[in-house]
Amino acid sequence: MRCEDVRPLLPELAGDVPERAAEVEAHLGSCAACSAELGRYRATMLQLSALREDLVEPPKAALERALARVPAWRWRLMSRRIVVDERLRYAALSLGGVIAGAVAMGLLRRRAARRDMALITPASSP
Amino acid sequence: MGILMVSPELLAACRRGDRAAFEEVVRRTYRHVYTQAFRIVGDRHEAEDVAQEAYLRVFRGLAGFRGEAQFETWLYRIVANAAITYLRRKGRFGELIIDREDDPLEVAADVRVAEQAADREELSRALAALPISLRAVVVLKDVYGMPHKEIAELLGTTEGAVKVRLHRARRRLKEHLFRPEDRDEV
Repeated sequence: MRCEDVRPLLPELAGDVPERAAEVEAHLGSCAACSAELGRYRATMLQLSALREDLVEPPKAALERALARVPAWRWRLMSRRIVVDERLRYAALSLGGVIAGAVAMGLLRRRAARRDMALITPASSP
Repeated sequence: MGILMVSPELLAACRRGDRAAFEEVVRRTYRHVYTQAFRIVGDRHEAEDVAQEAYLRVFRGLAGFRGEAQFETWLYRIVANAAITYLRRKGRFGELIIDREDDPLEVAADVRVAEQAADREELSRALAALPISLRAVVVLKDVYGMPHKEIAELLGTTEGAVKVRLHRARRRLKEHLFRPEDRDEV
């Protein structure tokens, strides 16, 4: 591969595995310029990922304004919804458990009935 | 617990309807949420609007949040969604979907003469100077680690288009940070 083939792939190589990765790697091993260019991309991306921890200071009253956006009546409404959702969830889980138990019991009883029938009815001789 | 310092116990208290617990979650996460919103929309005032909208979504979504997903990831996704919705509502969605490859990266003159090539503050300002279509993608992928697929769904585009924008954004930021005179240093 030549430098002009490799250069467009470097932004991807800096973060992921590009197409024709093996060929690109082979070129980078023998081309200092492209290798340095990849280093620049990687340094840029390293700085980008560090931005996550580089926090921007919000305006002073912004936090209080955010807290004030949830009025008491809305909070009560949501709290009620959470309780109802939790109850519905447990009810659904309980119902699921009951159904699964009933199905298992039915299968066991059916198997037992077949076994009993096999004991009562002797196999017919030829 | 993650970098946001929000424990499962605190979230459980929120789900029990403890308002003080919810306020504590907001206090602990506000700067992170505001920062993410700012990185995407590129404006401090708008970032505050996005952060407020994000908390309303968190508030509404808490009932459904079971803790299987990491809270941090869940929250970052909510903020990303709120920011993109905000840009759409403000009629700036066009800026999100149009790629303007040839626009110059206009950063204030004092930034251009900054001595340190890969300085974080300079990168932060270069990022803010990118067109929204490129900035949104590079922030979501390279700063917040969101998968290509999720970004594509969020922006209503394809994974291929996301990758193309990502590469353009990386190239422009790299070119800005490493001007020709810095090239021998790496």
